[in-house]
Amino acid sequence: MRKAAMVLLVALFAVAGVFAGGAKEGSGDVYKIGFIGPLTGDNANYGIRCSNAARLAIDEINADGGINGKQLTLIAENSEGTVEKALSSYEKLAYTDEVCAIIGPVFTGPALAVAQRCQEDGIVMISPSATHKDVTAQPIANSDGLNYVFRTVPSDALQSEVAAHYFYEVLGYRKLASLYAMNDYSQGLANGMAETFTALGGQIVASETCMVGDKDFRTQLTQIKAANPEAIYIPNYTVEDAQILEQAAQLGITAPFLSSDGFSDPEIYNLAPDFTDGVVYVGPAQAEASTILSDFQAAYAAAYNGDAPDSFATNSYDATYIIAAAIERAGSADTKAVRDEVAATKDFLGANGTINFAANGDLVASQGVYDVEGTTPVYVGSFQVVDNHIVQVD
Amino acid sequence: MATLTLYIQYIVNGLTLGAIYSLIALGYTMVYGILKFINFAHGDILMVGAFIGLIVYEALLGTSTSPVWMMAAFFIAMIVSMVLSALLGMFIERVAYKPLRNANRLAPLLSAIGVSFILSNGAAWIFGTQSRRFPYPFDNTPITFGGISITPHQILMLVVSVVMMVLLAFFVNKTRMGKAMRATSLDQPTSALMGINVNRVISLTFAIGSALAAVGGILAAFDFRVYPSMGTMTGLKAFVAAVIGGIGSIPGAMIGGILLGILEAVGAPLLHIPNGLKDTVAFAVLIIVLLLRPEGILGKNEREKV
Repeated sequence: MRKAAMVLLVALFAVAGVFAGGAKEGSGDVYKIGFIGPLTGDNANYGIRCSNAARLAIDEINADGGINGKQLTLIAENSEGTVEKALSSYEKLAYTDEVCAIIGPVFTGPALAVAQRCQEDGIVMISPSATHKDVTAQPIANSDGLNYVFRTVPSDALQSEVAAHYFYEVLGYRKLASLYAMNDYSQGLANGMAETFTALGGQIVASETCMVGDKDFRTQLTQIKAANPEAIYIPNYTVEDAQILEQAAQLGITAPFLSSDGFSDPEIYNLAPDFTDGVVYVGPAQAEASTILSDFQAAYAAAYNGDAPDSFATNSYDATYIIAAAIERAGSADTKAVRDEVAATKDFLGANGTINFAANGDLVASQGVYDVEGTTPVYVGSFQVVDNHIVQVD
Repeated sequence: MATLTLYIQYIVNGLTLGAIYSLIALGYTMVYGILKFINFAHGDILMVGAFIGLIVYEALLGTSTSPVWMMAAFFIAMIVSMVLSALLGMFIERVAYKPLRNANRLAPLLSAIGVSFILSNGAAWIFGTQSRRFPYPFDNTPITFGGISITPHQILMLVVSVVMMVLLAFFVNKTRMGKAMRATSLDQPTSALMGINVNRVISLTFAIGSALAAVGGILAAFDFRVYPSMGTMTGLKAFVAAVIGGIGSIPGAMIGGILLGILEAVGAPLLHIPNGLKDTVAFAVLIIVLLLRPEGILGKNEREKV
């Protein structure tokens, strides 16, 4: 009995410790910022570029004297792109490292899971790349009733809406096929696009699925070929898209391909350089002519062996600066104070242009359209949907 | 496109995929036939073979674009990779399996899983995790007749697989060493008493299996790309193909591989279910096959020796 009471007492102290820890200021002379993303595995290219960009931003800030006299430090955790690993990364960052904010997770699946925890525990999360519409729609479960989840990438809801309107109104397609992987990202985009496209009067003549990690898409492509669409929408990550483009050419498919922001990763031009010509994809809108973007790209290339950052890495760079600015204004590492300042971000001038957050944490943005010539994406322009019609913004 | 043409296209695609599974399944089945043990590192030898092939090919090619030299470089790379993979297979057997030959049956199995992790993590550490393209050594423009496309690469896969399988069948059935192999598979202690060098036979089995895996890895690499975990799923499927065909039976592995490839390509469209479930269909059919013939299609229903 006495033993049981002792255990209870110890447990109580432990719990109290955790709560006290939650409100505690960042220890020592550093502000810790967490990062969650895939650093190994098939899709590690996304996570590595995003963490590189965040680290670059932090190095720049530190070289400039840090924030309020303190240095920033990035603690990058490897999620391997899975929900389980992302959650254990989150637990380490939130409870052991006690970071003041988290950049990531990079992929939608892990982001949905971590967003839920961030809302519960009251820790700011800014994803540079998780585009599923529900990432910013997780229940706000913290005691203050405040939103802690933000992103510097446009929501899929926005992307698929602009995509459908662009395909229907500008490109004039009426019959599309889609081939998408069974993950939150690709499924969300394909379904969202199909919904808007059919509402406009278009038709999806074939809607084929595959699994992440599949290498053979010939059965699906053969079916798509038989359905004879005017174009094929493939909102997937580069590893799948590269294979799809190549195998489609082998099966004699001549219909053009349409894609999503996953296509903005330059890795696609290493994997399938002969098959990218003519692909049109909807992705991030390009920033107004500013030196911030070109400076970032040059600094990134210099820091990482001439590698080129993708759009997600650019978002990650901006997210890091937004967090740093929030910490500076908050004057502490208190997670609630940092949240208030992130939410108060107004017309932040980043590498991706002017950044504002909607009340739910979504990025306020227009969408860019790109047309690939050979292995070079050519920027067509920025678009928004206004009154159910597509409008070119610039 | 007429339905018939459509299905012929599926079968062509399935056949070429199946040829790769067959090549890899041979390694599983040969080792099992002789040692009654599943070499789970086999899929990773395939990956190592693909990496060696790619590195040798790129080194040989340099900046040359002569079509003849490209093909020659490709075949040289394939042979180098076969030899090195064979040596790797023999080495793994010597250090990780041979000392455990008389241990509990689970011990070599766990050892094999350990080797599998060492190989794939080692490759990730040395080469990085991103996928690499294996450039085609020839113009891969598809050949079309009657609405059916087949690429030179698919033809190459079929031809090389068939040649390898015919050579293997000849070796096992017509040569002295092949006879020794069959004898060892039948009864190891008696074979040893008859003067067969069992250790050499086992080494040779690993060498041949690994060389075939290297060929499979290189042929698959054009399609699948080269990356450290490429052997995991392909290896698993080839293992299943070997079991379906009747593990321990060489013709069984060939049939099992082809069957699995075709099931994957045809199964989902035939049943009108989403293609994302194609593996589910293929594996469901395989369970049915096993329920009907637990020993596999060509497996011998041998009693467990105690």
